[in-house]
Amino acid sequence: MDEKIQDIYLTNKKMRKKWQAFLEERGIKNFAENEVNLIQQTIGIFNEQDELIATGSLAGNVIKYVAVCDVISETKGARFNKIISELENRLSQVECFHYFVYTKPMYQKSFEHVGFKLLAATSLGILMEKGTPNITDYIASIPHFPIKKRIASIVMNANPFTKGHRFLVEKAASENDYVYVFVVNQDASLFKTNERIELIKRGTADLKNVVVVNGGDYMVSYVSFASYFIKNTDQIIKYQTMLDAKIFKNNIIKPLGITSRYLGSEPFSHTTSLYNDALKKELGNDIQVIIVPRKKISGVTVSATKVREAIATGNFGEFTDYVPKTTADYIIQNMENIQLRIRERAEN
Amino acid sequence: MEIKKSAIAGTLESSDVQIMLSTGKNGFEFELESDVAKQFGDQIKETIVNVLKKYKIENAEIRVIDKGALDMVIKARAITAAQRALDIVDTPQWEVL
Repeated sequence: MDEKIQDIYLTNKKMRKKWQAFLEERGIKNFAENEVNLIQQTIGIFNEQDELIATGSLAGNVIKYVAVCDVISETKGARFNKIISELENRLSQVECFHYFVYTKPMYQKSFEHVGFKLLAATSLGILMEKGTPNITDYIASIPHFPIKKRIASIVMNANPFTKGHRFLVEKAASENDYVYVFVVNQDASLFKTNERIELIKRGTADLKNVVVVNGGDYMVSYVSFASYFIKNTDQIIKYQTMLDAKIFKNNIIKPLGITSRYLGSEPFSHTTSLYNDALKKELGNDIQVIIVPRKKISGVTVSATKVREAIATGNFGEFTDYVPKTTADYIIQNMENIQLRIRERAEN
Repeated sequence: MEIKKSAIAGTLESSDVQIMLSTGKNGFEFELESDVAKQFGDQIKETIVNVLKKYKIENAEIRVIDKGALDMVIKARAITAAQRALDIVDTPQWEVL
């Protein structure tokens, strides 16, 4: 039987319709434009009658939208293996050797057979990874503290690092022996990842029991929690926040001996407030989840959003009170560059 | 020789094997997934190690997904993976073969 692999271009409306129908028949339902727009390439296997019989897509280092028709197949699973092989080859061509897949719980075994390992599972979907450096390598790369100590954790984007962030870190540092500050790794914010990490390091340099580490793919990333960066429905946000919380629970807490996670209360962002709920629910039985009310200065809640708006409108002078001197100095030194980036982002 | 970058060769299709090599520190570290690991696991590892040794590789993380490949297939895939990992695809070491 002659079956061939071909690229599928979703910009072709007819093809897109065919592709979507094929996936829908196999129970994949989320075709929100935000999600589909993240796809960089899609491949399909077509039979002699030019019917689509298997497909898979790549969005960065995430394998998505995999579906296979096993009817009239020589061997069960042959087409699935072919699709995954081809996707992995394409990933290796761009030097990507560590990747993820979202799938339904029922397909866990199929992906295990081709070398994927489970990171977190919910009833709606599971997240698996393959390749290197994986979660074990990630944990090994982080400084470890003596176990049986009070070890706090905070995950922050800090776009940029404000006095609000500082307040949260300070509180955790004063109430614990050690504090991990995990920084969101996704370069999707106004301040680049290395800038955000650097500003947190500078702004907490005096706190000797605090260590700042990159959160990698495992904490609030396109992989673990894409809705943090793109708009989505509540149902998807709830699913993703649950998954992100479970990754933390299953893979991060124990090897690092973490005993608490500190969160800032979230009066402004609906998504982040759902995230806080998920963390409380998922982590609450294992570690202390401490929600700290947001810091106010002269009665106004400090937020990085306000700082960014002030930079955009050139009123930063009025907001220097909101950020530590280390952040203020950096912004003033790089004002033109940051404003340029804001304009570019607005245009896109 | 040191492995400078990760590399992959082979597929997950029946009778083939997929081999991923990456930088290692402690000799040869294997992760093997195969339906016949119990019967042929050691032999699969040995075939790959022999190839790597010919390339003078001493440390590597080796991830293998075997789908029932025969010895010569395993050898061929290991050679390709090694050449890619050492970045010598353009100047193959024919004498290894």
